[in-house]
Amino acid sequence: MSILIIGLSLSFLLFLLAAGLTLIFGMLGVINFAHGALYMLGAYICYQVVTMTGSFWIGLLVAPLVVALLGALMEMTALRRVYDRDHIYQLLLTFGFILVIDELTKVIWGLDYKQVPTPALFAQPVELFGSMIPSYRLFVIGFGAAVSLALFLLLDRSKWGIVIRAASADADMAQALGIDVSRVRTAVFALGAGLAAIGGAVTAPLVPIELGMGFSIIIDCFIVVIIGGLGNIRGAILASLLIGMARAAGYTYATEWVELITFALLIGTLMFRPAGLFSVKGRTA
Amino acid sequence: MSILALEEADVFYGKAQALQRASIAVGQGEIVSLIGRNGAGKSTTLKAAIGLAPLRAGRRVLGGQDVTGLKPSQLARRGIAFVPEDRRIFANLSVHENLVLAQVMDRRGPWTMDRVWRLFPVLKDRGAQPGNTLSGGEQQMLAIARGLLTNPAVLLLDEPTEGLAPLVVEQLTEAMRTINAEGMAILLVEQNLRVPMKLAHRQYVIDHGAMLWSGTTADLLADRARVEALISI
Ligand SMILES: Nc1ncnc2c1ncn2[C@@H]1O[C@H](COP(=O)(O)OP(=O)(O)OP(=O)(O)O)[C@@H](O)[C@H]1O
Ligand SMILES: [Mg+2]
Repeated sequence: MSILIIGLSLSFLLFLLAAGLTLIFGMLGVINFAHGALYMLGAYICYQVVTMTGSFWIGLLVAPLVVALLGALMEMTALRRVYDRDHIYQLLLTFGFILVIDELTKVIWGLDYKQVPTPALFAQPVELFGSMIPSYRLFVIGFGAAVSLALFLLLDRSKWGIVIRAASADADMAQALGIDVSRVRTAVFALGAGLAAIGGAVTAPLVPIELGMGFSIIIDCFIVVIIGGLGNIRGAILASLLIGMARAAGYTYATEWVELITFALLIGTLMFRPAGLFSVKGRTA
Repeated sequence: MSILALEEADVFYGKAQALQRASIAVGQGEIVSLIGRNGAGKSTTLKAAIGLAPLRAGRRVLGGQDVTGLKPSQLARRGIAFVPEDRRIFANLSVHENLVLAQVMDRRGPWTMDRVWRLFPVLKDRGAQPGNTLSGGEQQMLAIARGLLTNPAVLLLDEPTEGLAPLVVEQLTEAMRTINAEGMAILLVEQNLRVPMKLAHRQYVIDHGAMLWSGTTADLLADRARVEALISI
């Protein structure tokens, strides 16, 4: 039972990050190496707000907003200058973001671990099918599912989604229909950054908050994005479930095999379905 | 006074010059055709009008205002609609979503979803399917309908009948006539005289990026041999 709970909560966390990565790639053509750093920043800002206000919920609300704003700023001041250049410039730039964010984090919060207590509402474990489950994990699953659903509705059913999909597929034609594509790019980067920060903030009560936390998760996210198919958000949710559940099962039954299994899935995908395990022809975003 | 004009426009792709001091104007309620052979610079003229090809020299004038420096999205918002040669239907959007996209900028006017459905009923029937699953003729209808839903002051049509069956060409010709009868100014690009002779009030002939001939359709009839020499391969 706890494998399922841990697996699902990990899956949704991975999806929040992978969805942002894949949206940003689809719209901007940029692989955002700094995505893990934004996730980490979400956790730190949540910690800061909790320290100041005593409320985790305010932290969960404020962290994504602040990081989304920061994302918009990053896109407007730096990223947009390198879209026309070779990919290597974009990689270097987002890599540069990591260094800046890491240094700023060190200056502001120092080097020692930070902790966010589990919110009082979910402090008690609950009994589910005979096993005791930390109720905060259940909250993470429900919350992750709700955010994912909202994201799908936004992309599939709203005017905003139509604009994002159109601008990702053919920026020139979208502009010829009056869409200000440079603003859409800013908005998509901000959305991706905000999603990463939601992931960081919601994880804050579960793990020690530290400088390396962005790095360990980003590798898994890249794997999810590659297995799901770059730019394919539907693929990303299935791939998140696959990797999340595989990891949770691995930790329980075969700890030393976890990394191996993950990379085996990755390599298998690249060998047999290089466009992604769940790629559908002609269908992106 | 013209609705849309390019004046002495120069356009380059890298070092190659694609438009040379090209001037063209479309007046209120007019259908103007631009004809020329392969690679003459017809599409480039339309791209220069909507801002997708930047002007190195010359001016773009819309409704009497100089709009040379504006971006494509700004030009679209001020009333230029572009229906490109390759149609550029969004494959990851449904037929209906392709149309909704055109309404996002919310230029109000006579063209509503109902009106374009009446003009091209197939777009209503096929609304839910992906845009790129339509036939060539249907995609052309979708591309035109999408342009109309931006309620433009002028509609730029790049070879709308190219590669389509005679019956579909007939249907599209009729649709253009209807659209124009409602007062819409149209700049129609074609490679041959077939459709322009039926629809256009005035015509321009382009070759090697320069406007070589212009006149009314009656003028063209009188000077037909020369024009045909200019556009033949
Ligand atoms: N994106 C581009 N990059 C470089 N050269 C281009 C580009 N687009 C067009 N050209 C060149 O500019 C010239 C004019 O092209 P344009 O597409 O305007 O011709 P056209 O009259 O529309 O031809 P067609 O009838 O084949 O559509 C051609 O020589 C073409 O090769
Ligand atoms: Mg052309």
